[in-house]
Amino acid sequence: MKALDVAFKDLRQAFRSMAFLVFGLALPLLTSGLFYFAFGGSASEGKVELPVTQVVVVNRDEGQGGFSAGQLLVDTLQSSLPDVLIVTEAPDAAAARAAVDRQEAAVAVIIPPGLTASLFSQQQATVEVYQDPTLTLGPNIVKGLISQVVDGLAGSQIAVMAASEQLGERGVTVDASLLAEITQRYADWSRRLGDQYQREENPILEVRSPGDGGETDGDQLARMIGSITAGMMVFYVFFTGAASAQSILREEENGTLSRLFTTPTRPSTILGGKFISTFLILTVQVTVLLVATALLFGIPWGKPLSVVLVAGGLIIVAAGFGIFFISLLRNTRQAGVALGGVLTVLGMVGMAGIFAGSAPGTGDAANTLSLFTPQGWGVRGWQLLLSGDGSLTGDILLTVVITSALGVAFFAVGVFRFRKRFAR
Amino acid sequence: MDKAIQVQDLHKDFGEVYAVRGVSFDVQKGEIFSLLGPNGAGKSTTISMLACLLEPTQGDALVMGHSIRREPMAVKASIGVVPQEIALYEDLSARENLDFWGKMYGLRGAALKRRVEEVLEIVGLTERQKGRVSKFSGGMKRRLNIGIALLHRPPILIMDEPTVGIDPQSRRNILDGVKEFNRRGMTVLYTTHYMEEAQELSDHIAIMDRGRVIAYGTHEELVKIVGELDRIDLTLNADAELVVDRWRATEGVHQVSTEDGSATLLVDDSNLALPRLFEAATEVGVRITSVQIREPNLEAVFLHLTGRALRDT
Repeated sequence: MKALDVAFKDLRQAFRSMAFLVFGLALPLLTSGLFYFAFGGSASEGKVELPVTQVVVVNRDEGQGGFSAGQLLVDTLQSSLPDVLIVTEAPDAAAARAAVDRQEAAVAVIIPPGLTASLFSQQQATVEVYQDPTLTLGPNIVKGLISQVVDGLAGSQIAVMAASEQLGERGVTVDASLLAEITQRYADWSRRLGDQYQREENPILEVRSPGDGGETDGDQLARMIGSITAGMMVFYVFFTGAASAQSILREEENGTLSRLFTTPTRPSTILGGKFISTFLILTVQVTVLLVATALLFGIPWGKPLSVVLVAGGLIIVAAGFGIFFISLLRNTRQAGVALGGVLTVLGMVGMAGIFAGSAPGTGDAANTLSLFTPQGWGVRGWQLLLSGDGSLTGDILLTVVITSALGVAFFAVGVFRFRKRFAR
Repeated sequence: MDKAIQVQDLHKDFGEVYAVRGVSFDVQKGEIFSLLGPNGAGKSTTISMLACLLEPTQGDALVMGHSIRREPMAVKASIGVVPQEIALYEDLSARENLDFWGKMYGLRGAALKRRVEEVLEIVGLTERQKGRVSKFSGGMKRRLNIGIALLHRPPILIMDEPTVGIDPQSRRNILDGVKEFNRRGMTVLYTTHYMEEAQELSDHIAIMDRGRVIAYGTHEELVKIVGELDRIDLTLNADAELVVDRWRATEGVHQVSTEDGSATLLVDDSNLALPRLFEAATEVGVRITSVQIREPNLEAVFLHLTGRALRDT
């Protein structure tokens, strides 16, 4: 009972502390929010809301044999993203550029004469993109579409050359109209491929990442943010664990600890209360962060049992490590330096797997390195949970067991040191 | 059992440092007992052993019949300790502090609530009970510091130099408070290096120096150690070290203690000694600027026994 009195007294002090409110709750949420808005703040139900972009087009391409690459490009711009790109035609290049200069349009696309002819010869033709320098997203979309068409045209050029060669070997005379037909067919196929891919209707080619399972872009974004948020949460939870255990040093310096030892309360009860308070503070912190990030950022942490177990493992290891870490220090001045330096380094190493885990060549090394820190084990549990379907797997359970065992080991050493320190 | 505390040959060393060497004394129930001595005499170490914060190297003590070695929990239940430094939770209110400490002393529920209100009344903080301690004045903090030790109505109150560094008014309030607690039946063990406090408060005094009790008794008994010697306090216009050897060699002078521009002497007869002291000072060019002749007191006793003033460390 007295241990709980000590614990609740510490809890009350923690919740009145601006340091806990800021570093324990506000900063982790703020950091996660920054990542969320940097990578997915404009996301809404898996669809990215793009700004409407005015595009002015000048098509000077004459076409050849019934096919016009310039018209293909204009049609692509008009039909690909009709809600995003508003395409109008200008009489000439000067008018098109003037429209951009007057900010009546974001981008001017000037298609040169001879674009189609360049497909059938070695001549070079350049499509000019004249954009408002203050804008990036809209012009980049236009350039992307143009690149797509140009790539298709390059492909068709290769197709034409290959067809000419093969037909010539068979004694077939290849004339301009045949070349134009080959080019048109290839271009139509290329555009159809692109349309189907974008609209996701029976795509000819479908690009998938491992573990997609039919997820939307929004789901994948939430998992990515979740991974980063998990890393931030682990980083700050370990700080809170050590800061909470630091109350032992503070009370020693203030004289309240020795005063506690003059009361008819066993030292083990007093210290036990302090350890319980560390555990409770971390439980509150983790719970608030999990609920808040799920509500604010839509992070799918997982099924309740899995989340409770992984969170429990994190709390145990952070509390145990905090008590152990503080037991190594003599006073709060040492703690100030050590907390900032050591915990930051350990935290960054522990998060190495998040930021470099998928990088070719370094990912495995980063993941392995992170497991040399207790923070790394805390992060691993969340990574496994977020990369799956939220259910409890053997890997997750093993990680929870190892994390908890680490926490208990740290706790045992910390308790031993403190009991020795405060022995009469 | 008439004795509240029986200290039996307590020793405490910290490696090569001997803080307490064979201290023995008894504190009767219902009395105010002072441990008087300069800084470093071993008073706080003795108190810490009695409060079961430190394990004695040798010896034992009985507090209300309980051994500090074998029954520390029973000892702690019998004592209320007022530490020298203020030990409060500054981010809690006065009431929250008392609530918490009361629970540590084993009080619960209605009994705790009642006692907290009584203690708030005793220390005069009822109106400020909900205020954060960090906003209190030094005097208010001291009062609360004392109040915490009273929560469980201990038969013995141990106060470790409670008036160090505080203003005269607050000091007066504390001394009056000690007398009131004693009047209500509490035994008080009080440590101090202020002779006048020990003199005003105590039924019995133990004078400590360098880890030992060098004298023990009532104020009158202790003063008799000095006998008929007179105490003379002199203020000089130069460092007293310039003349101290001459004074020590002067007839009728028993003890000389100096500190910068002042000196305290024990002499057979102040009327005979003074002219000789002035002459010796003049010979070395030192001018005596003030003279006070006092009745023998505890400071004179300390000086007589140790050759040093009580304020020397």
